[in-house]
Order: sequence, then C-alpha cells, then structure tokens
Amino acid sequence: MALDGRAEIPRPAFWTPQRRWLLAASGAVLLSLLGTGLFRQALFNPGGIPQLWSFLQASLQPDLSPEFLQLTGRATLTTLAYACCGTLLSVLAGLVGGVLTAEVWWQSVWPRQQTKVHVLINGTRALLVIPRAIHELIWGLFFVNIFGLDPLVAILGIAIPYGAIVAKVFAEIIDETPRQPLQALLNSGVLPLAAFCYTLLPQAFLDLLSYTFYRFECSIRSATVLGIIGAGGLGYEILLSLQSLRYSQLWTLFYALFLLNGLVDAMSALLRHRLGSPTRLDLNLKRRSTQAPISSISPTSTSVVPSIVPATRESVSLWSWLQRWLWRHSLRLAQLGLLVLIPFSFWYVQADFSKLVAPRTVRLLGEVARAALPPRLNGSPDQLVTLSLQTLAMSILAIAIAGLGGMLLSFPAAHNFFLPGGILSGPREPQMRRVAAWLGFGLTRNVLLICRAIPAPIWALVALFVLFPGILPGAIALGIHNLGILGRLMAEVTENLDRRPLLALKAQGSPGVLIWLYGVLPLTLTRFLAYSLYRWEVCMRETVIVGLVGAGGLGRLLTEQLSSFDYAGVLVTLGCLMLLTLGVDGISRRARQALR
Amino acid sequence: MKRSFVPILLSLLLPLAACAPSPNPSTSSSGDSAAVQPFVTGAIPDQDPEKLQRLYGKLADYLSQELGVPVEYKPVTDYTAAVTAFKVGDLDMVWFGGLTGVQARLQVPGAEAIAQRDIDADFHSVFIANTASGLQPFNDINGLQALKGRTFTFGSESSTSGRLMPQYFLEQAGVTLQDFKGEVGFSQNHDATIKLVEAGTYEVGVLNEQVWKKRSEAGEVDLNKVAVIWRTPAYYDYHWVINPQVKERYGEDFVDKVKSALLKLDPAVPEQREILELFGAGRFIETQNSNYSQIEQIGRQIGKIQ
Amino acid sequence: MTRRHRAGRSHPEPATTNATADSKSALPLFELRQVSHRFGHHLVLDRLNLQIYPGERVAIVGASGAGKSTLLRLLNGTLTPSEGDVWALGQNLGRLSGARLRRVQRQIGTIYQQFHLVDSLAVIHNVNAGQLGRWPIWRAVLSLLVPQQVETAAQALQRVGIPEKLYARTDQLSGGQQQRVAIARVLVQDPLVILADEPVASLDPERSHEVMALLCELVQEGGKTLVVTLHLEELARRYCDRIVGLKAGRIHFDGPADTITPEQMANLYRGQE
Repeated sequence: MALDGRAEIPRPAFWTPQRRWLLAASGAVLLSLLGTGLFRQALFNPGGIPQLWSFLQASLQPDLSPEFLQLTGRATLTTLAYACCGTLLSVLAGLVGGVLTAEVWWQSVWPRQQTKVHVLINGTRALLVIPRAIHELIWGLFFVNIFGLDPLVAILGIAIPYGAIVAKVFAEIIDETPRQPLQALLNSGVLPLAAFCYTLLPQAFLDLLSYTFYRFECSIRSATVLGIIGAGGLGYEILLSLQSLRYSQLWTLFYALFLLNGLVDAMSALLRHRLGSPTRLDLNLKRRSTQAPISSISPTSTSVVPSIVPATRESVSLWSWLQRWLWRHSLRLAQLGLLVLIPFSFWYVQADFSKLVAPRTVRLLGEVARAALPPRLNGSPDQLVTLSLQTLAMSILAIAIAGLGGMLLSFPAAHNFFLPGGILSGPREPQMRRVAAWLGFGLTRNVLLICRAIPAPIWALVALFVLFPGILPGAIALGIHNLGILGRLMAEVTENLDRRPLLALKAQGSPGVLIWLYGVLPLTLTRFLAYSLYRWEVCMRETVIVGLVGAGGLGRLLTEQLSSFDYAGVLVTLGCLMLLTLGVDGISRRARQALR
Repeated sequence: MKRSFVPILLSLLLPLAACAPSPNPSTSSSGDSAAVQPFVTGAIPDQDPEKLQRLYGKLADYLSQELGVPVEYKPVTDYTAAVTAFKVGDLDMVWFGGLTGVQARLQVPGAEAIAQRDIDADFHSVFIANTASGLQPFNDINGLQALKGRTFTFGSESSTSGRLMPQYFLEQAGVTLQDFKGEVGFSQNHDATIKLVEAGTYEVGVLNEQVWKKRSEAGEVDLNKVAVIWRTPAYYDYHWVINPQVKERYGEDFVDKVKSALLKLDPAVPEQREILELFGAGRFIETQNSNYSQIEQIGRQIGKIQ
Repeated sequence: MTRRHRAGRSHPEPATTNATADSKSALPLFELRQVSHRFGHHLVLDRLNLQIYPGERVAIVGASGAGKSTLLRLLNGTLTPSEGDVWALGQNLGRLSGARLRRVQRQIGTIYQQFHLVDSLAVIHNVNAGQLGRWPIWRAVLSLLVPQQVETAAQALQRVGIPEKLYARTDQLSGGQQQRVAIARVLVQDPLVILADEPVASLDPERSHEVMALLCELVQEGGKTLVVTLHLEELARRYCDRIVGLKAGRIHFDGPADTITPEQMANLYRGQE
C-alpha cells in the first residue's frame, strides 16, 4: 500500500521552465563571449598596469586645495539640485503615466470592453519604450537643440526617461495591489479617478514612495552624467579633469560622489525602514501574502544603520541615543528637508520653464524635425544588424557580470548575514571571525558604493588601460557600474529575508554553506534574477555612453552621427535601440513570470 | 503619515509655478537703460580644458571691459552641444576647433571666423606609436601604409587634429579605416590617446602636436614606451566664431570690436598674458572663413558634414 | 568559576551515538542549571532548573510571554542563556561552537508553529533539508538539481500522510500540510529528541489532534523524546506524560500529567495582564 502510493508519483521533468530559461541565458552569455573574440585573441594588456596604478595611486592624494574643495562643493550641490528637480518631475509624470498604463485603470474605465482595454494597454506600454530606450545623455542633446543651453535640458533629460521608467514600475505596483476595495467603490457608482484616489493609490502609497526614493538615488547618478553637456555639477568637473587626466582632482570629485551617493542611499534606507517599507523595489514578491509580517521594525531589533562594534560604554550610549533620536525624528526631518530642498533646488538650478512653450522652442523643434525626417541611413542595413548584435552582446555580458557579481557581493554586504547575530554566524564566534565579518561587511558595502558612484564612462577608461579594445571592456565597465546598484538592491533582499526557515535549518545543525544553499538561495535567487533582468534594459541603454572602448556597437554609430549632425541617421539608430529595448523588455517580462 | 505627505507634495509644486514667469532673455531686445543682454561666449578647448573652463572669468572680465557690455561665459564640454548651442543662438561667440567651427558656421548663415592663435595657421598632428610595436618614424606620407594591420585610435570624433585631418592624410596614403586591426578607437581626448598608446592598448594613435609637446616637455610621457612616428603637414585649426545676431543686438561694428579686443591681447601685459596662456597662444591673429574651406571639403568627404 | 568546575566533570563521550536512545538512562537528555535569560532589560527566564530524560513526552504550558519559546530555543542551541548552563546530550551547549555545536544539534529536531519551511522550494527539498547534517556538500548541491534519496523522503511523507505532495511547491500547500512537511523533515533528520514549539497553534482543532497524535506516534515508534510547548491544557494532558508549567519565567509546577490539578492549571494563567 505504502509503496503503491509512492510509485504513482512521477518525478517531474528535469527541464522545468526555470531551467530552460537558465540554459537559454547561459547560451546567450556564451554566444556574447564568443562575439567578443574572447577565445581568439589576447585580452589582457599588462602594459597598462603602470597607468592603472598611477590612476589608483592618486586616490591617496586627492586635490585638497581650498579652491578645488570649494569648486567640488558647488558642483556637488548642483548635481544634487538637478537630481532633485529631475526626480520630482519624473515622479509626477510617472504617476500620471503609471495610472494610464495600468491594466486596472482601463478595466475600471471600460469594464466591458476587454479587447479595447488590451489594445490600449499594449499600445501605451509600447509607447513608453520610446523615452526609456534613449539614454539621458541623448535626451539632453536633443533638448539642447530645442531649448538651447538651459538648465531645463538636464532636468528634462532626467525627467523624460525616468518618467517613463517610473510609469512602468508604478503601473506594475498599481496592478498588483488588491482590487477589492476599488471594486466596491466602482460598483457603487464612483468615478474611476475618484475611486483610484480613495483605494489603489493610498493602498500602494508606501510602495510608490519607496520607489521614489530609489529613483532619487538613480537621479543623482544620471545628473552626474548629464553634467557633461553643460549642466555643470560633478559630471562636468569630472569630465574636465579627465580630459587632461588630472587624477588627483578626479579623485577629489570621486570622493564627493561617494559621499553624495552614500548619504542619499543611507537617508533613503532610513526613511524607508521608518515608513515600514524596507525594499526599494518589490519584484517578484507575491505581494501582501497571507503570511505573518516578517519582523516588526524597531530601532532595537533591526537597526537600519548597523551599530559599530562598541568601543566604550559612553560611545555606545551616545551612538544608540543618536540612532534613536534619528529614528524618532526622521520623518519630521525628512519633511522639513524636502520642504527646503525642493524649492532650493528649483531656485538654484534656475531653469527657464517658460521655454517649454516659447515660440523659439516650437521653431527649433520644427527645424530638428525637418532635419530628421524622413529617417535615412548612410550605410548598409547589414552594418546596422551587426552593430545591434554587438550592442546586444555587450548588454548581455554587462548584466551577467553585474548580476553574478552583485549576488556574490550582496551576501557579505547584508547586515544580517556574516555579522554577529546574522544568519550565518554562530552564537559565539571567536573574536577574529567577528572582526573579519565586520571588515568584510564594511569593505563590500564600500566596494558597492564605489562601483555605482563612479560613472560607467570612467570605468570604461580604467578597463581600457588593462584590456585590449573590444566589446568586453565596455561590458566590464557597464557591469561594474551596475553591479554596485544591483548588489545593494540584492543585499536588501537578503536583509529582509524571512529568517524563520533559516533558523530552523540552523537549529538542526546544518553547516553554513548548506543553510545558504537550502535556505537563503531558494528564497533570494528568483528575486535576484528578477532584479538582473530588470536592469538588463538599463545596461542596453547605457551601452551608448561607453563608446570609447573601440567596439561600441550602436552607441559608437550614434556618437558619430550626432557629432556629424546627421539627425536622419540618428533617428534610424534610435529606432534600432528602441526595437532592442522592446525585445529586452519582452524577454525580461516573460522570464520574470517564469521565475515566479 | 499619509495625510502630511499630500500637502508637502502639493507645496513642492509651488516653486515650479514660481520659476515659470522669469523673463526670457533671448526675446528681450537691447533696451536703452534697461539691463543689457550679456554677450555669451563659450569654448570647447581640447587641451587643458579644466584650466580654461575653470578660469574663464578672466577672459569674460577682459572682454566686458573692452566691449562695454556684460560678458558671460557658459561652460560646455561636449562638441555637439556647443555647436548646437551656437546654432540656436545661446552662445554668441565660441572657441571652436577647425571642424566644429565649420559645422557651426554652416548651421548659422552669416557666422564669421574672426580670430585664431598664432600657431593655428600652421597646425600639425602627430602620429605616435607604442615602441613595442616596432614601428619606425618616417617622413613620407606613404609611410602611413605601415600602420595597416595595427590597432589604432583617434581622439574625439569631432576633433580636427585628433580625427579629421589624420583621417584625411591616412586616406591620402591609401589607408582606410578597415585596414586597421579591429575597430578604430575614439579615445575622446588627446591626453587619453597618449595614455592608451603608452599602455599599449592601441599600438598607434594620433593627436594634436601642441598637446604632445606640452606633455612630453613636462615629462608626463614615458618616452621609452611611446614615440612620434610622423608629423602631418600643416593645416588651420582652432578659431573664434561669432554669431551675426550680435550685430543686431549691440550694433553693426560689434564684430569688429570683438575682433580687435582679441587681437589686442598683449603678452607683455601680465593679466593678458595669463589669458593667452590659457589658450596656449602667443597672440591672437586674424583669420577668415575661407581659411577653412579645405576642412569643409574633407569634412564632407568623410561624412562629418552632411 | 562554577563553570570550570562543571566542565571538569563533563560527560566522557559526546552523546551523538544512539546508545542512550532507547533505554531510560540515569543521565538526563537535557539539563538546565540556574538558567536565566534576558532580552535587553526584560527578564524572560528566571533561574530555571529542569531535567528531561530520554523517552519522556514533556508538555511545557503557560501563558504567552511565559518564556516557553525561549526555553525551546535554549534547548536546541540557537540561543545561549544570559546566565547558567544548558546541557544537552551530555554537552554544555554554551561552550560549544561551530562544528561541535552542529553535531549535537543534529540530534535535536525542531518543529515550529509557523512551520519555518522554505516556501519557494519543492516539498522534497524541504524534507531533504533534514539530511543536510549528514550529506556532504556535493550531494546537497546535486540534490537541488536531481533529488537524492527520494525513497527516504517519500517514506517520510507517506508516514505523515501526504505522499502525493512530494514534488509540489511548498507555498502551494495548506497550513496543515505544511506542518506535516515540517514533521517529515524532522523524521528524515532522525534525531534523538523532537522539540515542538506550539506545533498546532496555527491549525484548527481537528487538524491539531491529528498532528499531535502523529507526533506522539512517531516519538513512541522511534523511541524518541518529545518536548512540546502548548497553550491548550487538553492537548497537554492527552498526549504527554509530564507537564511543566511556566509562569513569568519560572517553573510553576512540574510533574506527571495525571497529578497536575485543574487548579494548578488555572493558576498558571491567572494574574497576567
């Protein structure tokens, strides 16, 4: 009887959808690697080690002259202000766009017309690919064409693509919010917009706000890059110092970037924890499941800023007092900060919003349109296909590096992993191991910060010192930059893990590696992959800005066309990028569904 | 929590409204006693840009004093953005490279090249090679054929000395970009070209001779690793280009006033010498549009001018 | 100083063998000596002394907050007491770390109120997690791709009554089924003693009886020891032979199930805010 019962259970097929996706992904990475010529030619250029060394050495001797520090301070403020304005506008645009691309919105407006709803959603979503596929820098250059040199250029350069990204994510958040309250209101005859304002929007408020904080962190990085086209700020100063290879100045500016990025990240983490929404971006998490809440959040149980190894009693109490004070007052401080920061940013940036509707803008837009239409390509379509494949290969390798590296670094960077009291730490670790865990924690966190704070073009130059030109240095540069972003997001996933299954494994005496394998990895892996897939699209867009590596694919072509004012050609290239983005978006969406 | 955030979000919109009605400088005509619209200059230098861009105040002050109108310097580091800003009229006068100057003039009818440095009338590029490549210096342009099958990098796409003229000379010697090993690089600036050739990432590179001289004299180049293999023939490069709209704004003779102010810069006067040094110039001398017709022709040939 | 004294007379051999499993030896399986535990300033357990012998089925009862769960966490070594010593299988848990602690922990299986399973894994892997203490790493890795020792896992699931769920995803199971998976995991682990922390608190009354009966059966069949925290007096009396009453971190009573009077029980829950 017992045996009969078992015999009936067939072993499921080895090739589950997840494993098929994994195989396909490995195949894509391998093909991309082949495309770089990895196995055919020398890759590493030892001749560049002295150059790399002198670049790294300068990190110990940053330019700390008062004039330069002053300049750095002003530049930092400028970057912050641009990021602030850009975020605000993109969130406003994203909110509108998010509602308009949410399935539930159109279903509420036309409850009886399924096909119409589908067409509308797919249409609007495809439309949003256009702003998303184009890099901030290209948007910036476009806006110079119609607004001239105005701070508006950089603000819109952030706001337009970010608005589309925010819209996409907001739509997903809104669609995954429970709909019963909305239905209740709609059924009683309330207008859809009002019903949204009373149900879905407040329900999803925390998630939306959380994501807004994350966007702000990203805006800082984009504002940096946008500095190049005249917006000023840290990116502009970095480019100037880079052009004449003044490494010591470069490092001063990098330190400012680390500080700015680190502070914004920390503030956003604190606020999100305080609001009870500890993840920046909830992906592939079955939302609001019936499970009990993971842990109640209070400063004593899970401190956001992990307390430093206590040195003396006084410092402990001062530190914990400070922590508690920050905790208690963080919301008020944040509100105050926002009230000051946002008006200040707009005042500081001095953008001329009247240009949005000025007659000159319309005239210039017409000129650009005349120059760009009809789209025309100088060269063969074959070349376009080759370049598209190169871009695709670069983005695949970049996201593979970023994803794998981010996963590896995310564990030591999570404050609940190796640190005392963490998942993989025993009850009484020897002092040495505790110190090592703290060192590893600090080190990985800083490595991640450095990776994401330094813009990708800088990484490209660094990579080019020691690698021969080709797709690979570009992929590595993008990989390193995105690794910093993904690693941080992934560490957060680990930090918010449900600890109970892990404690159960630990209590039965499983060694650490197996707790990780049977507990941590199954709980995190799918979300890690989802984040990576999500970020893939960004890597694709960013291939455009690492063109100096000698095989930039479409990015290289685009730079050439832009510098030749060949707008008709630019349009063709952008079309290719959009198609690629659309494809990447589709694949990523499907893969994420399979991974759920 | 939620309740208090809504008014905040609303209050965030206020500054937007507050910013909107600021006057639009490009539409206001030069009033009588009203604030005069500033004369806006810019530069996309290709050597020591950080110095020039960060010390631009000196030039602005000098011009303002000479011309009697407020002078503003707007920093731009991107070639394309600078040309575009000149086109839409946000920059009145720009220090352009040979190619970018032509690109800018072609988009603004009536724009004039008014001044160049003493060295710009006789400007050269140098091809440099990593010594490990075994390439030897040569004097004849056909020596460029030795570069076939090597890896090679230009500077920026729009640079006259780092891309346009070198590519022209290469084509003269019968070398196309496909003859190089792998894809041709664009290091984005002259200093990066030196470093990348020195590192051996690329075997050969080409750059502005002035930058090369300055760096090698300062001992910033490891001459055991990288050496000049060929110096190009002379051509015209950097120059000031001015937008005709300034005539409407400040009077017909304004262009001449600017020109003479630039030509008047005297290396004997300490403050003025400082300005000249920023541009790496001994003096500014006259130039005219026709000096750049060769560049325009080459630009069209290789597709940089559509 | 007392510690050193006790360490001196530590038991000669680590009790990781099954030698003591069947016979009720004179040596206690667990021994708590003057154990206190604090969370921050809050005293959860107050100078506890307790011995549990092989083969016993002990219910620990008390109001919520009495320290029942903390007591279990001390017993399975996931928590070290603020004061005093916890001895398990002849070892002072507080003095063990790393591999030696894990060797003792392998003989202690724990079942939880919230099941504590890895939701996103298939049932078979959650059951096989009970093997992790024994398996070499390569086998544990391989098993995630090609499940190992399927027969053992299937038998365990058969024993807990859900053989058909072998390859189902854990988060698709009902609460009662998930608790059975957790029990199957402990079965596969095959420990000397099973600790169960409110194993039925998340289940309805009928399911509760089923699970408790199952647990007792398994314990009796395998000659194991059971320590279970419960908040229902009825379950404690019915399924256990010894009841320990905890109140505010101290032992209120401790004796054979049939000697505990209803008054004693009632007293246990009285005077709580």
